[in-house]
Amino acid sequence: MSDKNEGSVLTQLFKTFFGKHWPVWVGGIVVGFLNVLLFAIKSPWGASGGINNWGENIFSSIGVFNLEHVTPTNLNLYGMLCLMIIAGSFIGALFSKEFALRIPPKGEMIKGLLGGVLMAIGATVGIGCTIGAFFSGVPALSGGAIIFTFGLMIGVIIALRYLMWEMEKFPKWSSGKSYTWFSASGKKGRGQIIIGWIMVIGVGVLAYSYTGSLQTMTWFVIIGTLFGLISQRSRFCIVKAFRDPLMTGESHGAVGVIAGLLVGLFGFTIIKYFGISVDGSSLRAREMTWVFSHFWAKAAIGGVIFGVGMTIAGGCAVGTLWRIGEGQFKLWLSGIGFLLMAPISKLFIVPFVDGLLPHNMKFKSFLPDYIGYGGSFALVAAILLFWYWFVKWNEKTGKFSAF
Amino acid sequence: MEITMTLDCKGLSCPMPMMKLSKAMKGLNSGDVLEMLGTDPGTKSDLPHWCEKTGNELLSQEDLEGGVTRMLIKKK
Repeated sequence: MSDKNEGSVLTQLFKTFFGKHWPVWVGGIVVGFLNVLLFAIKSPWGASGGINNWGENIFSSIGVFNLEHVTPTNLNLYGMLCLMIIAGSFIGALFSKEFALRIPPKGEMIKGLLGGVLMAIGATVGIGCTIGAFFSGVPALSGGAIIFTFGLMIGVIIALRYLMWEMEKFPKWSSGKSYTWFSASGKKGRGQIIIGWIMVIGVGVLAYSYTGSLQTMTWFVIIGTLFGLISQRSRFCIVKAFRDPLMTGESHGAVGVIAGLLVGLFGFTIIKYFGISVDGSSLRAREMTWVFSHFWAKAAIGGVIFGVGMTIAGGCAVGTLWRIGEGQFKLWLSGIGFLLMAPISKLFIVPFVDGLLPHNMKFKSFLPDYIGYGGSFALVAAILLFWYWFVKWNEKTGKFSAF
Repeated sequence: MEITMTLDCKGLSCPMPMMKLSKAMKGLNSGDVLEMLGTDPGTKSDLPHWCEKTGNELLSQEDLEGGVTRMLIKKK
């Protein structure tokens, strides 16, 4: 006989999703699948472009930098996608009673802001962030994305060394007064669940409101919300994938990202190879989707700067957005630093870097042009397999772990 | 049970709690118990993985008032 306290079947289902965190690999597979859907509908997942859109709208509204032709966020697919990641994470945090406004010590807040600024510079110089230029760029068979990935790794190593030095020499930076408000631990928290349901209804109404005029947006709203919710529940974070094997040696964050990349690799290759959803544009245009003109130096420079920024901030592009949704104030500051710096970097830093680099250091490199679709698929799959082997081997031996 | 050391990670987010924990555990002796107080939900899933990997024992994990989680870890 079942225990009366277990509740109804639907209550059990709710507890399955929101009672405890999901394995990261489950989150990785689901977000990888949603990324393929997004590409089938329009174009793959990206985050920095959406955050940049928010910043441009802010500067435009106060009349700074003469940004007159900015698309309003409610009509910008990626601006809305990023906004809905926050909404989805907020829903996930509310349903699991994990939402709280967490104010960290001052030193952490400074690092959050600075990390956001660096991520903005890295994303604009490197043409993409951990999502556009990595999580989507690598399955898109872009040569530049692979260089960006190595850049990220170098940036993470540099910043991790800094964090360890800081913890040793200036431990007070990450300690001191902190505050936590609106938490709902223990048996409290029905209010959070009620607000969560109100948010779900709000998202549904918002998605429906676009059905008449902009159907693609309907799906961006739904998928963006799911990205946020799934990432929050599974703690899916790309900085974790790069950082943790080198820090504590743990591999589960990396395995989650590798799983998502593998799903994306299959889906993206099929979409590109068969020209699915070409929609009037040429097959070549579909093939070159998410292949940016950053091979190789631009991707390397952007990747290193972004890698440093995300490690200092403690959240990559998506990690920042979903942590904003669960109330981490440090990441609110990262988001503010990112959105304010991205348009400034696009206007003043990117033209300077572009002026220094000749064409052969910033061109579009589509791997199948050189080694065919089969070779490209095998190359990316081999890199992912090697990465998996490395993090698992390192987890056992601790050879490359700091602790 | 005697608590050897208390590590206050309230207000800190990923990666600081796990970095501080790893460093603090290095300074303890076998059998010592560390009490960790934190507010980052991520630590709840990171800590069991870390204990499994390092062989340290997660004795308990409980939610207190104010969004604080208290975790007791015994050094192997």
